[in-house]
Order: sequence, then structure tokens, then C-alpha cells
Amino acid sequence: MKFKLGYDFSSVIGFFAGLFISSLLVFLFKENPAHILKVLSGSFLQSKFDLGLTLFYTTCFLFSGLAFSIPFKAGLFHIGAEGQIVISAMIAAILGQTVFKVFGVNTPVGVVVGVLTIITVTVLFGILSAHVISFFKVFKQSHEVVVAIMLNFIFSAVSTYIILHFFQNPESQNPESGLIHQAYQNFKGDFIKIYFDQSAVSSFLIVAVISSFVVWFFENKTKWGLELRAYGENPQAAERMGISKIKINFLALGLAGVFSAFVGLTEVLGSAYQFKIGFSPSYGFLGIVVALLAQGHPLGMVVSAFIMAVLHKGASDLDLETQYLTRDFSKVLQSIIIFCVAGAVYINYRRKKS
Amino acid sequence: MTVEILFGLFLSTLRMSLPILFASSGGYFSEKSGVPQIALEAYLLVGAFTAAAANYQFDSSIVGFLAAGLSCILFSQIFSYLIFKLKANAIVIGTGLNLLAMGIIPIVSKLFFDSTGSTPSINTSAEAVQKSLFTVVSITIMMLIVCYWLAEKTRWGLQIKFAGEKSEALTSVGVSPLLRRWQAVTLSAFVTGLGGAILSTYLASSYSPLMSAGRGFIALAAVIFAGWDLKKAWIVVLFFGLTESLQIQMQNMDIGFKIPNEFIQMLPYIATLLALLLMKNKQLAPKESGSVL
Repeated sequence: MKFKLGYDFSSVIGFFAGLFISSLLVFLFKENPAHILKVLSGSFLQSKFDLGLTLFYTTCFLFSGLAFSIPFKAGLFHIGAEGQIVISAMIAAILGQTVFKVFGVNTPVGVVVGVLTIITVTVLFGILSAHVISFFKVFKQSHEVVVAIMLNFIFSAVSTYIILHFFQNPESQNPESGLIHQAYQNFKGDFIKIYFDQSAVSSFLIVAVISSFVVWFFENKTKWGLELRAYGENPQAAERMGISKIKINFLALGLAGVFSAFVGLTEVLGSAYQFKIGFSPSYGFLGIVVALLAQGHPLGMVVSAFIMAVLHKGASDLDLETQYLTRDFSKVLQSIIIFCVAGAVYINYRRKKS
Repeated sequence: MTVEILFGLFLSTLRMSLPILFASSGGYFSEKSGVPQIALEAYLLVGAFTAAAANYQFDSSIVGFLAAGLSCILFSQIFSYLIFKLKANAIVIGTGLNLLAMGIIPIVSKLFFDSTGSTPSINTSAEAVQKSLFTVVSITIMMLIVCYWLAEKTRWGLQIKFAGEKSEALTSVGVSPLLRRWQAVTLSAFVTGLGGAILSTYLASSYSPLMSAGRGFIALAAVIFAGWDLKKAWIVVLFFGLTESLQIQMQNMDIGFKIPNEFIQMLPYIATLLALLLMKNKQLAPKESGSVL
């Protein structure tokens, strides 16, 4: 299965087939599919706050979708985003509680430098954590999926340990870090957040949308982007052309690390202002669905991230609206969409061939 | 005193290893036949849930095991259909399957038992526990013998290996590598499902949410750590089981210093990464792993 450049509609068909099958499944649980679909698709429009929450999910999904799709184009199957998200969110939360001692918060310059430091260091950690995978892939010929799975567990254990033992919020019973310094919570004042009644969404939404344009430009108009895709299409041929395997692996996963880190930043700087253990509803894996739906097209991912966010938000309302379905239905829905899209892409591919 | 502790540790290691032992034996067949299997976690969960539910319903541990195995076989057919018929990517579908298992179990559980969390507790009278112990021991021994025999002593086991190493060779002798891969995946789901049953009806007395706690991935790690070798994988599993039982013992013991729980938890994963770092794994992994037939 390969992502193609031109968009064909098989993934749209797959998406609706998935939605249809899921609604049929709902019958088994003694619910009315029409009602469920209404809850799923309508919940984000209930209020500005709900819409803001949906856009927050969109931001995270878009970043994690990019983190999956870029390595995929280089022929790498990157499921390590989850670990990178967790570790970078932890770094951001720790820095948010400490760097103000260095830069001070009394002057605006100090605050700006502080925030920039947090963002830079977090992104660096994201890149480094992703490069562990490239290292194993390039120098040890290990399969990237295997390494990524191990790293996901290791990163989550490490961050749990560090937060619980050194940065636990003393005022809370929940496993979470303390809040980042007041001065760094400046996304509270950003216009998007104010417009959406202090919902979870923040200016990171704009960063995400711009990133997807930048990624599109990178993949289609720059030398490195084209090399990356060429390597993904045919590694042997690309290497004969003088494209370095090492460069492509580190480049693709490094970019993935950047976007994973941005999911962490969106959570810590833009929404929660702290690191909550288990904050991620497996964003890293949901990125796969987002990328699959858009067939890896960076601009298409803006749409697919929003669709998945709407469904994700809708599913969290199922607890209240129905008797038997719970928010876990979100996972069922996502998995069935994965199956149908993956299947439909192939069926379409074969139809074109014959 | 120390002897007692060590013996206790040994027994608890055996106990804690059981689900991983089943999952890694299952995962071995699928991995060896060239199908990357990251859905072991899903099979463990489905197996654990159905076993607990069936055991509660019929008050019999054997029925629980059968239900777990069969439900996992059914569940794995989604995986097989998408991968073999529609040529989807095994890792995408594996991820999807894990999500599906995590999502659907709470809903089914709510439908049947009116609780999203756990199933009602199974019969834990002394007699029932005795019987369950007997079942577990015999099923484990049978599983070990059958898996070893299938993998190392039969023509079928050899063909499984060829399906992963060089599928053309199989085609040339008139055996469909696709069929062998499907059989391997189905067997894998069945065996792993039994491991799930042990998890919920022997190590615990009911199903609790996400009770597999990454054991499916630990089992996968064991198979890789062992270089895709069944017997070595079992030994690695014992080692991973030891870390898990140490973790439990450490909580009760006061030995002057404390190794944080999180570190013991991530030991299997670190060990696997170290193994990948130190070994030349390229030669050991099935050559056509993940290839589309």
C-alpha cells in the first residue's frame, strides 16, 4: 500500500464505509444509529467552547498526522510519535517551571526568551528522541516499528518517574506536574483562546495549519523533500543516485520528532499548563488514521484531522447521551475507519490497475 | 528464610511469565511466517475478557479457555482478511486491532454486565481454584509441547519458516505461502487468547480494564530479543517474568534501597533495545517480513 500523490477518493469511500459499518454495529448495542451519528457529528457545534475543544484536538491530530506521514513517504513506518509526544510534553512542563529562574519574568524580553527557550529545547528533545529510532534503523538494521514500540514504553515510564518523583504538583492528588510559571501561560491571552471562551484551543492551531503548508512545500518543491520521497519510492535506486540513506532516515524522523514535540507543546503551553500523566488519548496512533484518510497529503490532513477531531469530541459525549455506548466507542470508530480506508485504498488501486 | 523468599520468587516468576509465555509462542508463529504481529495485545485483551465472561457464565475454567481461544480466532480473521485479501499493511491493521479491542470490550462489558470496567468475579472457592490450577498447568504443558513440535519437528513448521524467509520456494513446491501465513496468524491468535484467559481467570479473578498492561508488546519484545527462536524466546520470557515478580516483591520488602517501579517496568524494553544494539539482528529477522504476497 502506497500513498499516491494525486488524491483519489477511495479513502473518502473507505471513511464513509467505516462510518456505515460502525453505525450498523451500534444496533448490536441497542442504540439508534441515527441518534449516535447525530451526537457524534453535532456535539462540536453545541457551543464555542466545544468548538474550541474540537479545534484543539484538530491541532494535535494534525501535528501527529504530519509526524506519521513524513517518515512514511521515506518508507519508514513511524509509530513512535506517542513516546516522543510524552517525553517532549514532560520536558516542556519541567522547563516551564524552571527556566524563569534563569531569564526572569519581570521584563517582556525575559518572558519571550523563556518561552522561546522552552519551545526550542522541547523541539530538540523531540528530534533527539526520534533520532534514536533512526540510529537503530541505519546502524543496526533493526526494524523501526520494533524500536519505536520499545521507546514508547521507555519514554512513558521515564516521564512518569521523573514527574512523580521530582515535579509532582503538591496541591493535587492526581499524578501531574505543577503548573508552569504564570508568566509563561501567555497563551491564555491569545485571541483564538479568548474568542473560544478560554477553551483548550490556542494559536498552535495556526502553527499547525501553517506547518502543513510548509510540509507540502517541502515535500514537493525542495530538493530534500523530493529526495526523501524518491528514497521512499525506491531505496536502492535512490541510493544509486547518490541520496544518502543516513541523511534521509535522520531527516524524515527528525521532522517527525519536531511535530511530535509540537503536540506536547500544544498540550503544555497551549492548554493544560502542566504535564498530566496519561494526557494523550494516543495522539501518536490517531495520527496514523489522519494520515491514512488524507493519503499523506499535508493539506488534506487539515481536513481529515478536523473530521477525526469532530468524531473524537462527539464520542466523548456518548457517555451522557446513550445508555450503553461509552467514550470508548471513539476507539471502535477509529479502528473501523482504519480498516475500511486501508481496504478501500487497495481495492481502488487494483481497479485502476486492471 | 532466604530460601523461602527465593522459592516464592521462583513460583511467582513462573506465574507472572505464563501470559507472556503464551503470547510470545503465539507471536512467534506469526512473526516467523513473515507477518509482523503487533496485535498480540488485542488478542490478550479479547481472550482475557471472553474467558472471564464465559467462566463466570458457565462456572468452568475449561469453557473459559475454549471461549478465549475461539473468540481470538474469530477476532484475528479481521486482521487476516484485511492483510491477505486486501493487502493492507500489517502494522496499520495491527494498530487498528489494538484500538478496536480496547474500545469494544468496555462497551460489550457494559451491555452484558452493566459495568464498563470489570466483569463480575468468577468462582474463587478453594475447589474451583484447585481445578483451575490443574487446567492451567495442563494447558501450559500441552501448549509448550505442541508449539515446540509444530515449530521444530513438523513439515508444517518448516513451511511456516519458509513463508517468512523465501516464499517463492514454497510456491515452487506447490504450497501456498498465503495459506501458511493465514494458518500461522490464526494459530497465533488462538495461543495468545489462551494466555489472555490465564491473565483474567488464573492470575486474577475477573477482567479489569486494560489488564494486559503491555504484555503483548513484552511478548513481541521477547521474540525479537531471542532472535526469532522459539526456545530462546521462552527463556527470555522467564527473565521478563522475573522482572515483573521482582517488582511485586519489592513493594512488600524493605531492602534498604528502593529501585523505582518504573525502572523495573521498562526493563524488558531496555533489554530488548540493548539486545538489538549488541546483536546483528539483520540476519535473524525473517527476510520477507511484511512483504505482500
